Amino acid sequence: MVISPSRTTPLALRLEHVSHAFHSDGAVVPVIDNVSLQAAPGEFVALLGPSGCGKSTLLRLIAGLEAPKEGAIYGDDSPVTGPGPDRIIMFQDPTLYPWRRVRGNVALGHDINGRADDEAVTTALKLVDLLDFERAWPHQLSGGMAQRVALARALVNDPRLLLLDEPLGKLDSLTRLTMQTEILRVWREKQFTALMVTHDVEEALLLATRIVVFSPRPARVLADIPVSLPERRHRDDPKLLSLRKDILAQLGHREDW
Amino acid sequence: MSQRLASSVRFVPSPNATTVRRAFPLAQTLPWLAGPVWLVAALVTWRVPDADDFPATNDLAVLFAAVGVVLMVAAAGRRLSARAPWAIALGVGFGLWEVAQAKLLWLPRPFFGTPQDLLDVFQSDWRKLGDSLLHSLALLATGYLGGATLGIAVGAGLGRSPRFRYWVRPIMRLVGPLPPVALLPLAFVLIPSSRVAGDALMALAAGFPVAVLTWSGIAAVDPAYYDVARTMGAKQRFLLFHVALPAATPQIFVGLFMGLGASFSMLVVAEMLGVKSGLGFYLQWAQGWAAYPNMYAALLVMSLMCSALMTVLFKLRDHLLNWQKDGLKW
Repeated sequence: MVISPSRTTPLALRLEHVSHAFHSDGAVVPVIDNVSLQAAPGEFVALLGPSGCGKSTLLRLIAGLEAPKEGAIYGDDSPVTGPGPDRIIMFQDPTLYPWRRVRGNVALGHDINGRADDEAVTTALKLVDLLDFERAWPHQLSGGMAQRVALARALVNDPRLLLLDEPLGKLDSLTRLTMQTEILRVWREKQFTALMVTHDVEEALLLATRIVVFSPRPARVLADIPVSLPERRHRDDPKLLSLRKDILAQLGHREDW
Repeated sequence: MSQRLASSVRFVPSPNATTVRRAFPLAQTLPWLAGPVWLVAALVTWRVPDADDFPATNDLAVLFAAVGVVLMVAAAGRRLSARAPWAIALGVGFGLWEVAQAKLLWLPRPFFGTPQDLLDVFQSDWRKLGDSLLHSLALLATGYLGGATLGIAVGAGLGRSPRFRYWVRPIMRLVGPLPPVALLPLAFVLIPSSRVAGDALMALAAGFPVAVLTWSGIAAVDPAYYDVARTMGAKQRFLLFHVALPAATPQIFVGLFMGLGASFSMLVVAEMLGVKSGLGFYLQWAQGWAAYPNMYAALLVMSLMCSALMTVLFKLRDHLLNWQKDGLKW
């Protein structure tokens, strides 16, 4: 596995027949059922599905935090065997360390990998527009600010693949809109491969270049839909609205929409 | 004094402004009261004849007067506002004690001493008291610091390593709740050096609460904190020293406070029963000679020592936990 390649060459991701299950009280609960999936370098793929279907588990497998029960995951054709700073996951909660100031939180990846690059930390803080708050403690931040710090903490590692586990799920709707624009801007600037778990169809349509729709647990791929919309999208675009209708139908919401 | 109060009350212009206005001159007047209270105490000590032949009466009068002068200077420099009520209360208290015991002898001697008895002990026996204090501090330093370090290490092992937990937990459950005092007779027999035995017992007394609270602190760490570091490639060492232990620090300090209290008791008991030096030994010795003023002096030194060490620990906590929103102010 290559650690910290030259400035962000995006990662090519490939999942082959991945299945996973949890053991709970002696029973085996299948969560992922034979998922095969590819993401080309620089793609922004949204993983869409009902809550609790196993999408987050899929991200944990790709990040290397857990090993799949069956199947294999490849990054640039070499198998994923554990976590690494080229594949950074961003969680639903910011999970900032309360004992580190904002700057210390952003520098976490550097501390772990024994690098000291103040400039990179400053750049990341500027990118999310939080340089003025570098001395603040996490408890002094709003939810949106904390999530932006988490974004900067991920970006400072120069990830080749950014895994976004519903990072906007707990934000209020206005902050959410700002953050969507922010993530899109950062993705265009840094050109990493992005994989984003969401259950918000509109969010997926606004951000992604491709949408993979999953079934309820255990997660299976129901549909793989390329989003051929212009770069600057509008949520009232009739093409977007019709795609949205199709996807909601896939998810079993035919009548109520 | 009463004149001063009365004149300040007379300033009040109208009845409906009374409550607002009266509080202010009182707050200004109180600092000026503290010095005179001590000076009066000094005058009484010096002029009123003692009921018996007490040592150091005149020295005590000088001491009271000196305190009175210092307080007057502080009042003039406006550095005595919040502490003024305490300064007055202490002056009144010492004055009453002096009158009740040295001048009127209301309470039976020798169990109850006079202020000059206490002063006399510090004047005549300060070398031995100071020496005892240093011995106690040295015993505490090695015993408590050793126990705290060991406790954090054991707690970290219990919190992070299943194999360590498998072997050590049963031992902790069996030995931990046993009051270390119960091991005292055995320790002095098994360990030839009473100093080392005292250290070992204090380490045990401090180590158990520190270990348990470190363990529980680490067990309560949000697993997501580990995931965040692991996704960036963190290994066990980083997870322990940069995630688990910092996250558990508030709990660890609870253990450190409990451990400090426990090692204070262990210190006194060990010094009374085996170690032939220190404040506990001094207390024991003073009791043997029925030297009650010496006992009071030793108790005073002991409580100042314990309080100072607590303060140091609180300062350390405030420094290390400055990221927390709020905490108890000592």
